[in-house]
Amino acid sequence: MEKSNRLNAKDLINVGIYTAICAVICCAVAITGVVPIMMVLLVVFVPIFTGIPYMMFLTKVKKFGMILILNILMGALMWVTGMSWYALAVGTASGLIAELIYRAGNYNRKWNGIIAYAVSGIYCWANYFGIFFNADAYFSTRQNYGQEYIDAVTGMLPVWMCPILLVIDIICGIIGGWIGTKVLKKHFVKAGIA
Amino acid sequence: MEYRLKRNLHSLLDPRTKLLLLFTSSVFVVGNAGEKWMVVFYWVLVYIPVLLLFIEREWKAGLISIAIYVGSYFAQMSLQHDLTALESVLALMLYIITKILPTVILARYIVKTTKVSEFLAAMNRMHVTDKLTIPISVIFRFFPTVAEESRAINNSMKMRGIEMGAKKATEAVEYRMVPLIASCSIIGEELSAAAMTRGLDVGKNRSCIWNIRFGVFDWIILVLCLLCFIWWGIGRFFI
Repeated sequence: MEKSNRLNAKDLINVGIYTAICAVICCAVAITGVVPIMMVLLVVFVPIFTGIPYMMFLTKVKKFGMILILNILMGALMWVTGMSWYALAVGTASGLIAELIYRAGNYNRKWNGIIAYAVSGIYCWANYFGIFFNADAYFSTRQNYGQEYIDAVTGMLPVWMCPILLVIDIICGIIGGWIGTKVLKKHFVKAGIA
Repeated sequence: MEYRLKRNLHSLLDPRTKLLLLFTSSVFVVGNAGEKWMVVFYWVLVYIPVLLLFIEREWKAGLISIAIYVGSYFAQMSLQHDLTALESVLALMLYIITKILPTVILARYIVKTTKVSEFLAAMNRMHVTDKLTIPISVIFRFFPTVAEESRAINNSMKMRGIEMGAKKATEAVEYRMVPLIASCSIIGEELSAAAMTRGLDVGKNRSCIWNIRFGVFDWIILVLCLLCFIWWGIGRFFI
């Protein structure tokens, strides 16, 4: 029986479902971004929490293109909810890299999966490009946030934090992916769903 | 009495117009592009979703949205100066509500009035690849389901005494995520089976009973969105 490499309807539907779950989690975490410190910690919590559904998704990925589509859709969602188009661009690029990493592991190896997830989680970090590179324009349209909020957030994010946030994003991605595989093994493999 | 099939199934707005409206709304209302210059368009875009709700005869939803929007707008205005910490958090939340509410109402309207097959047919007309349209339509179809499932899971967890933020944080998260993902993946299998039974995967062009064409309202909205962008362009590049 030849295995076609085209993405068929079942794969695309799976992509849609797991994008929906990740989107719901992202929105739930982003709502807590009202508190200044949480806005920065977004990069910490989103990768950790979206790890579990994502690792589940990876067990269903056996063809090229599924991770890429998920990242493009998450990036587009970030854009539509008002967090700048950088997430879309970075999401596409990181999705491509994550695809290659996972494929190199033959869609099977656990650690390739975890690293692929960590790389594709970079779209969270891209949301902050606006604050780093163009702080005045970003906040000019958000003046009503209150001067203290703006000061608190920009105070916590000087330019040298930018690569540090990237590293934190990747590390939390690895943690999230690792937690995901643990949960997968503990619950889903037994039930046969994984 | 003979039964006549309505051959002219046509909804108020073409799905493509709805997407364009959503995009324009998120650029100019949420993103607030071109602050003061776009004031007139801003207010038009804010009230269009409510107008659409009224056209679809959803009086209660429309009135509630107007009430929430006007309420938070004025509350936020009155909190402008001399803010204590608590008040500034409140002002921030109200501000975010006024920013996102129109787009949220619009998104809810779109999700409620667009049939999945209509959406797929419109996307195919635009020659958007299947690989993007199927996941997007699954997301539309699935968002309410995820919300409903997680609400049900939250309720059953509360019944067992596992509150959010109770003793073990890991427990709270794990006991919510795992049932959610398990039920979602089962729903996913059923969804795929149903879709394939309806011939989603055959690879030939789909026929559709919905009449996908532009009507009067579509042209009105189209012209409005174009005007938004042209006006913004003028403001940015020529003044």
